Amino acid sequence: MKRPALWLAVAFFLVAFSLIGYRVYRLGYPLLPTSRAKVWGLTMEIFWEPTGKNGKEIEVRAGLPQSRSGQTVVEQRDLSGSLQFNLLPEGLNQIGVWSGDPEDGGVLSYRATVLLNPKRLAKPKPPGPESFPAIIGDKSEQIVARRLVERWASLEAPEKLKAIAATVKGIWREPPPDDNDLKQWSAIQKKYGAEKALVILLRAADFPVRKVQGFVLVESVATQPDRWIAAWTGQKWEHFQAETGDLYPESVCLLPLMMGDTPLVTVSGGKLQEVRWSLSKQTLSQWRSHFERIQRSTRFLDRWSLFTIPNQFQEIFRILLLVPIGVLMISVLRNIVGFPTFGIFMPVLMALAFRSTGLSYGLGIFAGVVLIGYLLRRGIDRLRLLLVPRLSFLITFVILAFTVFALIGSKFGMREFMAVGLLPFVILSMTIERFFILVEESGASVALRTAAGSAAVAAITYKIIQIDPLQLTFFVYPELLFAIMGLLLLLGNYSGYRLSEILRFKVLGGKS
Amino acid sequence: MILRQFLSLRKAGVLGMNRRNAEYIMRFNRRSSFPLVDDKLLTKQLSLKFGIPTPPLYHVVSHHGDIAGFERALVDRQEFVLKPARGGGGSGIILITDRRDGKFVTQSGKMISRDEIRYHISDILSGIYSLEGLEDKAVIEGLIHPDQVFGKVTYEGVPDVRIIVYRGIPAMAMVRLPTRQSDGKANLHRGAVGVGIDIGRGKTLDGVRRSGGITHHPDTGELLRDIEVPFWERMLLIAARSTDMTGLGYLGVDLVIDKNDGPLLLELNARPGLQIQIANRKGLLERLEMIDRAPKEIFLSPEKRAAWAIQNFAEPSS
Repeated sequence: MKRPALWLAVAFFLVAFSLIGYRVYRLGYPLLPTSRAKVWGLTMEIFWEPTGKNGKEIEVRAGLPQSRSGQTVVEQRDLSGSLQFNLLPEGLNQIGVWSGDPEDGGVLSYRATVLLNPKRLAKPKPPGPESFPAIIGDKSEQIVARRLVERWASLEAPEKLKAIAATVKGIWREPPPDDNDLKQWSAIQKKYGAEKALVILLRAADFPVRKVQGFVLVESVATQPDRWIAAWTGQKWEHFQAETGDLYPESVCLLPLMMGDTPLVTVSGGKLQEVRWSLSKQTLSQWRSHFERIQRSTRFLDRWSLFTIPNQFQEIFRILLLVPIGVLMISVLRNIVGFPTFGIFMPVLMALAFRSTGLSYGLGIFAGVVLIGYLLRRGIDRLRLLLVPRLSFLITFVILAFTVFALIGSKFGMREFMAVGLLPFVILSMTIERFFILVEESGASVALRTAAGSAAVAAITYKIIQIDPLQLTFFVYPELLFAIMGLLLLLGNYSGYRLSEILRFKVLGGKS
Repeated sequence: MILRQFLSLRKAGVLGMNRRNAEYIMRFNRRSSFPLVDDKLLTKQLSLKFGIPTPPLYHVVSHHGDIAGFERALVDRQEFVLKPARGGGGSGIILITDRRDGKFVTQSGKMISRDEIRYHISDILSGIYSLEGLEDKAVIEGLIHPDQVFGKVTYEGVPDVRIIVYRGIPAMAMVRLPTRQSDGKANLHRGAVGVGIDIGRGKTLDGVRRSGGITHHPDTGELLRDIEVPFWERMLLIAARSTDMTGLGYLGVDLVIDKNDGPLLLELNARPGLQIQIANRKGLLERLEMIDRAPKEIFLSPEKRAAWAIQNFAEPSS
C-alpha cells in the first residue's frame, strides 16, 4: 500500500465520521434507520354539488393541521388537481382554500402527514386575546354564572377547572349552590346548549377558553369532527369534551383543525354534501421525520442539510447520491471480483434505470433491445455506413424500440414498460455496437459472457442502491461521500488478485 | 477458502491484473510514452531510427478524402496488410495475399471487393478499432512470409513471438500460433495457441489455448514442445532495445520471423496481457522480482541485459 494514498483515505474517513459523529452526538441524529416515529396520516375528502349557473366560481375552505408544539406537519398534498389550492393562515388557524371553476361538481381530496413528538413539547404558549371570546348571555345570566363559580374561588386553577367541567353532568362540588341559582342555570343550559353554557361558566371564572374542532387520534373514518373545549390553567391547556364535560387524559392525542366557531368546512358557490376524514397510523422512518428538526434548526450542519432544499430538488439528490454507491460497487465488482462488462459505467446507468422499470422488466427490455439491435446491426453491416451515421441510426432504433415498448405498456397498463424512456439510450446503442464487434472478433460466447457480466453487475448494483435505509442514510449524511472517496482510494490501491483470476490461473496455482 | 486460493497464486508467483496495472504499468510506463507504442506508425518511425527492422511501409491513409487513392499508391503490389495505426488486440487487420479481377483475396481465401476495402478503411479512419475511439489512420504495409519453423504448428496466418520486457530485460516469452478458430490470427483471446519459450535455450515449451493447457496443435496435431526458435538471441536483443527506444519499463514486444528478412518488430504493447504466464506454466512475479535484484551494471547495455536473461531464465532441463 502506498503511504500517501493510505493517509489520504484515512483523512477522508476522519472527515466523514467526525461530521457524522457531530450530527449524532451534538445534534441528536438517529443512528439507526429502523427506528420508527409516531406518524399519522390524515386524508380529507370533500364532496359538493354545484349550485346555480354554470361557470360560477366555487370556493371551498377547510381547516387544516398545522405545525405546533409537539406536532409537525411533515408533508401535505393537494390531490384535487383542477382547483387552485392555497394555504391561508387565519388567526390561530391554517385554512386551505380551494378555488376555481370546475367543469362539474365533485370531490377534492387532501392528504397530510403529521408527526407527533411529545418529547419535543415546547413550553405551551399562554393564550392570546383570541382566547377570550365575547361574553355570551345577558347581564342577569352573567351574574348567575359568576355567583355559581365564586364558591370555588379558593380552589387551585386545575381543580376549579375540574369542578366546572363536572357541572355539565349536573355534579356540583361542595359547597352546593342554592336551589334558585341552580334552577336559573338549568334554564341557561337549555337555552344555549351544553357547550356554550360551559364556555359561559369558564369565562365567568376568568379562564381563557378556546372552542376546538379536530380529531382525537385513533384510526377512524369520520364525517363529523370531534369538538372540544380547551381552557388555560395558567400552566397549560386542558381539553374537555364539550358534550359530557369529560377531561381528556394526557395520553390522548388530539389533532386540532380549527379554533373558534367557524365551521370546519365551508363551500361557497356550491352545496356541501359530505366530508370524510380518515385517520391512519403510519410508520415513517425516523430519519425522514428529521426533516422537521432540521428545517427549523439554526445549527450549522442542520442548515447545511439536503433537507433544506426544495422538494423537487431533493428528489434529484436522492438519485444523485446513489451514483457514488453504484460506482463503488462497479469498482469492487470489476477490480476485486473481475466481472467483464461493456463499458465501465454502463451498469450503473442501467441500475439507476431499473429503479423505474423494475429489475426483471429492466433486464428483459435490456436483453430485448440489445438482441433486436444486434440483428439490425448485422443487417445494416453490408450497407457500409460511416461510423457516426451508423451509431446515430442505432440510437434512433433504440428510441423507436422505447416508443413501441411505451405504447405496448400503455395499451396493457404496464407502467414498467412506459418507464422505459429512462434507460440510458446512448449507452444501449453503444452496447449494441460493441456487442456486434465482440461477436465478430471474439465469438458469440465471449460476447454473451460480457453481456451477462454487465447484466449481473447492473442487477447487483440495483439491489444495493434499492436498500432504502442506505439511500436515506446518504441523504441524511451526505458526508458519507467522503467515506466513499476514502474507500475508492483504498480500492485503487488494491493490487491483489481478482476472484476471477483464481479460475484463470488455476493451472498455475495448483503447482507449488 | 478464497484466501488460500490467493495465497497459492501468490506462492506460484502469478502476476494478477491489479498488480500489473498498479505496480508495473503505472510505475514504469510513463503516460507520455504511451503514444509511441499505441500508434504503430510512430513505433515504426522510432524503430527505423534505432535500426530495428520492421515490415516495409507502403502507404498511409489519413483522411476520408484519400481513401480513393489507396489503390494508386499500391501500384501493382499483389499482397499487403491493412491495419489501423492505433488498433488493439489485432482487431481491424486484413491480410491480402492476392488480387484477382479487381478483387482482393484475403489470407483465408475470401474474396473482398474494392468497396469493402474502402468501407473498412473508412471504419479505421473513424476510429472504430482504435483504443480510445479516436480518429485513426490506416496503415498499409508489407505482408510477412513466415519462416517455416512453426509451419507444422500453424493453421494459416502468421505466428508471432511475444516477449515481456521488464526494465530492459526479457522476462518471459511465448510464441502465438494461429488456429482455425482464431481465423489465422495470432491473438490468444480469439483462440490462438500460446506456447511458452525457454528464454535460456530458445526452445518451445508446452502450450495453452483459452485457459487450458495443451501439448499438441489443435488443428495440425503436431507436438508443440522443443521447437528451436531461430534468431533467438537477436530477438532477445531487439526486445531489450525496445525499452531504450520507448522508455517503457514494462513492455510487450511482438516479433515475427520473416522467411527472407529474419525477425521483424511488429508492434509494442504498453499493457501486455497475462496469458503468457499460462503458456509458460509459470508466474511472472518471481522473474520480475529477480530482475529487481539484478546487479546494477547489467542494466548498462541491451546486450548485457539480454545475456543476463539467457543466463538466469533457463528452464531446468527435464
